[in-house]
Amino acid sequence: MIKKFKDLNYYELLKIPYNASSFEIRQAYKHILAIYEESSLATYSLFAENERKLILSKIENAFLTLIDDKKRKNYDNNLVSTGEVSDNILTEKDKKKAIPIFQTSRARANNNSLARIKKKIQENKVADLATNMLKHDHISGKDLRNLRESLGIELEEIFQATKISPTTLVAIEKDDVVNLPPKIYLISFLKSYAEALQLDPKQVVDGYIKNIAY
Amino acid sequence: MRRIYSIGGGKGGSGKSFIAASLGILLAKHGKRVVLVDLDLGASNLHTLLGQRIPEKGLDVYIDKRASSLEEVALSTTIPNLYLISSTKCSLEIANIFYAQKLKIINAIKNLPFDYILLDLGPGTNFNTLDFFLIAPEGLFVTTPEPTAIENTFIFMKSVYLRKLKLSLKEANMWHICQEEITKLSRGALKSPLDLISILVARDPEKGRIFEDLLSDLEFRLILNKFRGQVNENLGEQLVEVCNRHLYPSFDFLGNISYDNRVYESIIARNIFIAKYPYTKTVSDLQNMVRDLTGEKQEPVRVRAQR
Ligand SMILES: Nc1ncnc2c1ncn2[C@@H]1O[C@H](COP(=O)(O)OP(=O)(O)O)[C@@H](O)[C@H]1O
Ligand SMILES: [Mg+2]
Repeated sequence: MIKKFKDLNYYELLKIPYNASSFEIRQAYKHILAIYEESSLATYSLFAENERKLILSKIENAFLTLIDDKKRKNYDNNLVSTGEVSDNILTEKDKKKAIPIFQTSRARANNNSLARIKKKIQENKVADLATNMLKHDHISGKDLRNLRESLGIELEEIFQATKISPTTLVAIEKDDVVNLPPKIYLISFLKSYAEALQLDPKQVVDGYIKNIAY
Repeated sequence: MRRIYSIGGGKGGSGKSFIAASLGILLAKHGKRVVLVDLDLGASNLHTLLGQRIPEKGLDVYIDKRASSLEEVALSTTIPNLYLISSTKCSLEIANIFYAQKLKIINAIKNLPFDYILLDLGPGTNFNTLDFFLIAPEGLFVTTPEPTAIENTFIFMKSVYLRKLKLSLKEANMWHICQEEITKLSRGALKSPLDLISILVARDPEKGRIFEDLLSDLEFRLILNKFRGQVNENLGEQLVEVCNRHLYPSFDFLGNISYDNRVYESIIARNIFIAKYPYTKTVSDLQNMVRDLTGEKQEPVRVRAQR
């Protein structure tokens, strides 16, 4: 039977799979908020004030629950114990977790791309730009992008070398805080990014985090 | 294969007739045999959008039994392959035609020997408009980005579902079961037809499911007309998502149609806009829709609510 809106569980409400990554959760949250927020033309005439409040608070709860590993685990267990979803969905989820959506393992990185990038760096004389950037204690996504572009390196090549998804790379370069992955992933990504550009990872991570004031 | 599309959407002036005429012309140029049926009884104006004066005959001749078939009153237009069944001569009273007459018209329309049958509906949610809209299993809803137009479109959509449900329940002799709830729902604020389905399922699971399937047969697409740069570009997709979640999961977004001042000028000058200004954004938007409707475009990923 088709579910009514008020009966949707948090995953259905956000339209995300049961193994959604926190990145997907953030995206879905942003997406659904744009539809139900007070100023949205799409639902302008649709709800009474209290109805909208209820919907928005359910969305808020969904987000805050699923984004928090511990709360999410409790919520999942509850879904299983009430029979809402079968528990193999959870085990599937764990299986998936072993291969996180963010490919952090550098062992899988493509060495050819790394070699190509290295060559470009050697050919280019942008050492000054890099040193200059690292002198500041704030490093923005824009700085990283400037450097990458000055080196003539495409985003695609960074993706191939680091296996960080292009959407995440774009979010990093745009300082798009809402779409950035959780901090622990972010740090690992920034390290890979820095290494690919042969920059000091620690300096890049510290500068970047400081800049977005995590 | 014959395909019938209803073009409706509550508010007058949202561009239903303009879109019906334009899609008809483009489909005809695609080599399809197309008939436009003007079902805005009492206020029909489709001929004007085709650059024509008041047609000498139309639906009235068929209703008065002065024509043996509906096809006979389909007039050719200046566009090859495009025909028009007008209703200009149908007086205002005919807007309240008898039920038997209405059924006869509905059946005749369903059997018109054309590749594409496009039904141009009037505004509002009276029973005739809803019944005509439901002739086609596929409906196109036209709205503009204004809050009032969107509100009317939601109301119209809800009315279409309730009407379909009511007719089916009557047919199944089950109307009495939830007459009260339906009547309440059609008066109150927008509530999902799913609420009714769940009442039916609670009373009688097996039959309830049948009605759920019945409503699921309907396929609707939304068109956002008079689109301008300053409008949120995701609005169409958002509206469809809202329909799928709060009405019934049967909606897809067909696309935006850009606003162009020259649409109005063309009508005044009795020019056909898409013939006079073929290289405008508005026409390319319409062409994209035709590609979609004729299946030339790759099926987009359907955005539907979960089942
Ligand atoms: N895409 C458009 N751009 C500019 N004007 C439009 C557009 N679509 C419709 N119009 C204008 O809106 C008016 C109403 O259109 P019409 O098709 O008669 O609406 P409806 O049939 O829904 O009542 C027409 O006068 C036309 O000039
Ligand atoms: Mg009209």
